[in-house]
Parts: sequence; structure tokens; C-alpha cells
Amino acid sequence: MIKYRVRYYLLILFAIVNVPVLAAPVIEIEIRDHLFYPDEIEIPVNTKVKLLIINQDNTAEEFESYELNREKVIPGGSRGVVFIGPLQAGVYPFFGEFYPKTAQGKVIVK
Amino acid sequence: MKNMIRIGFVIAIFPCLATADGSAIDKVYHPYTQLLEHEFEWRVLSADGKQKHQLAVGKSFSDRLFVEGYLIANDNKDNNFSLEAYEIEAKWQLTEQGEYAVDWGVMVELEKERHEGNWELATVLLMEKEWGRWVGAANLWAIFEWGDTRKDELESSLAVQARYRYSRSLEPALEFYSGQDTRGLGPVLMGDIRVGSGKKLHWETGAIIGLDSKTPDNTWRFLMEYEF
Repeated sequence: MIKYRVRYYLLILFAIVNVPVLAAPVIEIEIRDHLFYPDEIEIPVNTKVKLLIINQDNTAEEFESYELNREKVIPGGSRGVVFIGPLQAGVYPFFGEFYPKTAQGKVIVK
Repeated sequence: MKNMIRIGFVIAIFPCLATADGSAIDKVYHPYTQLLEHEFEWRVLSADGKQKHQLAVGKSFSDRLFVEGYLIANDNKDNNFSLEAYEIEAKWQLTEQGEYAVDWGVMVELEKERHEGNWELATVLLMEKEWGRWVGAANLWAIFEWGDTRKDELESSLAVQARYRYSRSLEPALEFYSGQDTRGLGPVLMGDIRVGSGKKLHWETGAIIGLDSKTPDNTWRFLMEYEF
């Protein structure tokens, strides 16, 4: 009986905290010639931000950052959305998984 | 060279593993899928001298749908290794990661025993929530079983994981499993090893300790995925 209660309460808990994000600010990042533009973005502390990543190349790229806990494949000639934050102050590097030597950038949280 | 050392470390800590049939101890799924992803997976569960091996191949069909096919084999105490079942699994990512306070996904699994006309259909609600470097994941299973030698039965089970994102190659976690004949809790280690552009090995290993008399005292679990 206890195990059924545990499952029930856990489900209720997750449902309660599943509140939508209210209009997160949008920052655009372009991928061109396997580089990020801009390669440095600044966001405020404790603020959720929507990154709109536009891949202008013909090849796919993967936006990846362990520090931001995000991975997102964006096919060539298309766009993808990555939500980041709320974050503590600091520098959070990101890179392109398919072209890691050139596609590099960082999110600066102030 | 660094990657070779890491792979060696993972293999070295891989215990002689596997599961009691009907155990809810398996792995904790995450509600995310990636476009253009392919995957090979080997999963082992070991308890009471029995092992369950799962070999899988998977592919994403969109940025929200990932499908994986499994061969399931058992290795019993008498070393009688045999293919026991087939399974197909489809996972849908329902929300963008970080878009809502909780990330959601859903999974459907269909399993058929090889020698008997027995079937199992499962639907799983996948949830994940981030708190800084801590990540909590929960899987809520509803399983319907039927077949020639199995009575119709509806079961539920729960798997919960609390993971600390220490580094890409090493993340400690605590997992809890609860099901009809299972109540287990134990530590798990996992990590990723990058093996090239767009390629990585993901590994997990852990020991789940039985919390009641029906659950084996120790269930070892090991998983290795090659994603490309």
C-alpha cells in the first residue's frame, strides 16, 4: 500500500511543479561556416533564456554544453530552440559537437 | 589515450552481472531524444546468480521520436545462455528540455517471448527536473501482460534517480525501484566518453540493494551505449 502512495505522491509533486515558463527572453545565435555568431552571449543571473539557433550551413551541427546540461542537433538550413537557465553567475562554454575545433562559444551569466 | 584509459576503467569496474525475471530493476530513462542519433546498447542485470542481457540497436526518426529494438537473453546458474524475448521500444520527447519546470516524455514498449505466446505491453511516463548540478528523473510504468502461459495482469512500477553532474565522464547517482515484487535502492555511477566527432560511449554501473524479502539482496546493473 505504501509503495502505491509513494508513486501517487510523486506524480502529484511533478504535476504541481510543471509550471510553464513565462515568456523567456529570446537570444538568436547563428551558425555560419561552422562558427557561432555571436560566440559570446551575456544573460542575467537566475533568468531563463530561450536560445534560437539558426544553422545557415548546409550540414547539421549539434549545440552541446555539459556545463549547461544541453544537447541539440540542428539540421543544416534550419533552426532549433534551446532553453537555458536560471543560472548562477559564471562562464558556461558551449561548442558544436560536429565541428568542435571551430564552433565554440560561451554564455556569460552576470 | 585518455579515452582508452577511461574505457579500460569502465570495463574493469564492470562486475559479473544480471536480473531476476519480473524485477522492476532495470535502468532509469530520460525524456530526451536527439535528431540524427544512432545507438548500440548492451545492458546486463545480475541477481542471485542469474543474468539478463539486452542487446539493442536504436535510431531517431525525428527530433522527438527514438525507436530501439532489443534481443533479450538470460544466462541462468547452469550457464544456459539463451535468447528469451524480443522487444521494440518507442520514446517520444514531449517538451523541450528546460522549457517547463519539469521535462516530460512518454515511452511504449512491446515485448514478445521467443518460445511462448506471451506478450507484455508497457507505457511509461518519463519526467526529469534539474536543480543546479542535481538532476532528478522518474519513470512511472504501467505494464499489461497476457499470453498462452501467462494470466492477464496489469502492473505498475516506479524508477527514480537522483544524479549529481560532477563531470562529463563521471556522475554518481542514487536509484530507487519499486514494483510488484521489487523494492530496491542503491548507488550508481555513470558517464560519457567522447570517442570522436558526434560519437560517444555512455556507461552506467551500479548495485541495487533489496529493501524487502522479495527483492534479491544485490542486483548489479551495467550498461554501455555507443551513440553515433
